[in-house]
Amino acid sequence: MALIELKNIHKHFLMGEENIHALNSINISINEGELTSIVGTSGSGKSTLMNIIGLLDLPSEGQYFLDGKNTTEMSDDDLSKYRNQKIGFVFQSFNLLPKSSALKNVEMPMQYASAYNKNLTDSMIRKMSLETLDKVGLSSRVHHLPNELSGGQRQRVAIARALVNNPKILLADEPTGALDSKTSEEILTLFHELNSQGVTVIIVTHDNKIAHRCRRVLSMSDGIMQDLDGIKI
Amino acid sequence: MIFRKILVNSAEAIVENKLRSALTMLGMIIGVMAVILLVSVGTGAKRYITSEFESLGTNVILVQPGKTDKKNSMGPPVASSKGKLTIADVEALQKNAQSLAAVSGVMFGAGVVKNDLATNNINILGSNDQFNRIFNMTIIEGNYFSKEDEESGRRVAVLGHTIKENLFGSSNALGKLVKINESEHRVIGIIKPTGDKLGFNVDDMVFIPTKSSLRLFNTDKLFGIRASAKSRSGIDDAVAELTAVLKERHNGEEDFTIITQVTMVESMNTILNMLTYALGAIAFISMLVGGIGIMNIMLVSVTERTREIGIRRAVGARRSDILKQFMIEAVVISVSGGLLGIFISMAITYTLYFFLPGFDMRPPFWILPPSFFLSFFTGVIFGVWPARKAAHIQTIDALRYE
Repeated sequence: MALIELKNIHKHFLMGEENIHALNSINISINEGELTSIVGTSGSGKSTLMNIIGLLDLPSEGQYFLDGKNTTEMSDDDLSKYRNQKIGFVFQSFNLLPKSSALKNVEMPMQYASAYNKNLTDSMIRKMSLETLDKVGLSSRVHHLPNELSGGQRQRVAIARALVNNPKILLADEPTGALDSKTSEEILTLFHELNSQGVTVIIVTHDNKIAHRCRRVLSMSDGIMQDLDGIKI
Repeated sequence: MIFRKILVNSAEAIVENKLRSALTMLGMIIGVMAVILLVSVGTGAKRYITSEFESLGTNVILVQPGKTDKKNSMGPPVASSKGKLTIADVEALQKNAQSLAAVSGVMFGAGVVKNDLATNNINILGSNDQFNRIFNMTIIEGNYFSKEDEESGRRVAVLGHTIKENLFGSSNALGKLVKINESEHRVIGIIKPTGDKLGFNVDDMVFIPTKSSLRLFNTDKLFGIRASAKSRSGIDDAVAELTAVLKERHNGEEDFTIITQVTMVESMNTILNMLTYALGAIAFISMLVGGIGIMNIMLVSVTERTREIGIRRAVGARRSDILKQFMIEAVVISVSGGLLGIFISMAITYTLYFFLPGFDMRPPFWILPPSFFLSFFTGVIFGVWPARKAAHIQTIDALRYE
């Protein structure tokens, strides 16, 4: 069974008087261990799709099965749990807590995880967070605040935060959008490494070059998903 | 996330916004201080007035002519044509009421006292030789009336200290003559200055024997009778005996009203408790203002940290986690403010008491737990709405919030 399965997903919302149809009958399935990119221009609906896959937003119609569970029937608390346990987010603008150190930012998802796993002690959280920061190459800067770090380093903190709970899925929304090309390359290499270790990675981007670094490319346009030959899937 | 971790997070958030948290706390500090200090002023005033009352004489019993049915009469003395208290009543009490330590009839009226040097408008109080014992009056020069002075109605006078100073200055007054309402009296004693006690100032009074005063005012009807019980515990027996003696003399009719020190203090306490509660209610308003301050700041904080809320929700915080976080922050601010307020008001009142022992405004200890819980609940009540607001922000909107 596919890890992610979207069935006939629609999303529309009102913007003033106008009814925007952001997603129009999306059907995809992504298997565990895949490295997929969703590419599209601004306003194509790719971010809306990522928000739905990441359980940050709910579809207006259709069903979304994550790891075999129908998420459209879940309570808000269950959605929070799934976000915490199964999904890691990486955002274009990093979205780190500005007044917390790199380590504290990485510890945060594990603190919420301790609600589900009573064995998670403070010292375990600290140890695993430090390990994860080491894994993304930031072991020397764990006590720095985000504004004391470079863009690439901040994105590594964000990736460490996304990984710390060992999620099955890493969702990255324009992860290199705020970075220079050299740093972007390093971050993409890191995603490939993580994918080779078994994490399912989905990268949302407007950049075709980045998209084509991925094994599977899904293209969004006007709320409709196409393969690269322009055929609706 | 477990409670302790949220508590740590909240404490960190408060420290991160030091100035704002301190200003919010100030509202709470002032609120709690207002509660404690105003209640302290209320109880301090009560303590002071009660002790003033007791210094007038602890076992005092007042008998007024006429009867009213109201209890704890603090109202004006009843003027009645029906009841009539006379010197004969006083003499009967002196003879028959064994539980009384002292009994005196009193006559009270306005008058003029003068000598060659000065003229004073004063209050004249007619009393017998036992009166000074009832009210703990100290004679610093000469003597109070003797039994003979009273029985023969001699024209003698005991002067309050201010009157003596006005008429004689620092020279000797004993044995000198003064005119009281044009009738010559000889000064036989001076009373120790005591100052104003509940509007009754001995220093401004002239005392003459009861019989002389009845003659002066041309009446046989006493203003009232004052007595004291032998002991404080014997006051009820004394009242019963006094009532029995007077009733027998008045054809079995209770045409007089008895007021004791106990009933006076009780009704005074009722008034002073009301005062304390009223002050407490005023203080409660400042607590309310402090609470609104907390709510205001928490709402600002929620708006300001919308993005943080989005991030926390994205990594797995439940609505209840966010709710708890903001609630705890509000309560931590209010409780810290409350504790500081308690501490500061204790420090102020005890420092004042240390340097000015007469100014005893130390808070009663019963006020401390309610002040603490009041600050706690203020935090809870005024923190709920902002916290609920925070918990119900849509994650996706919060993440986009700039």
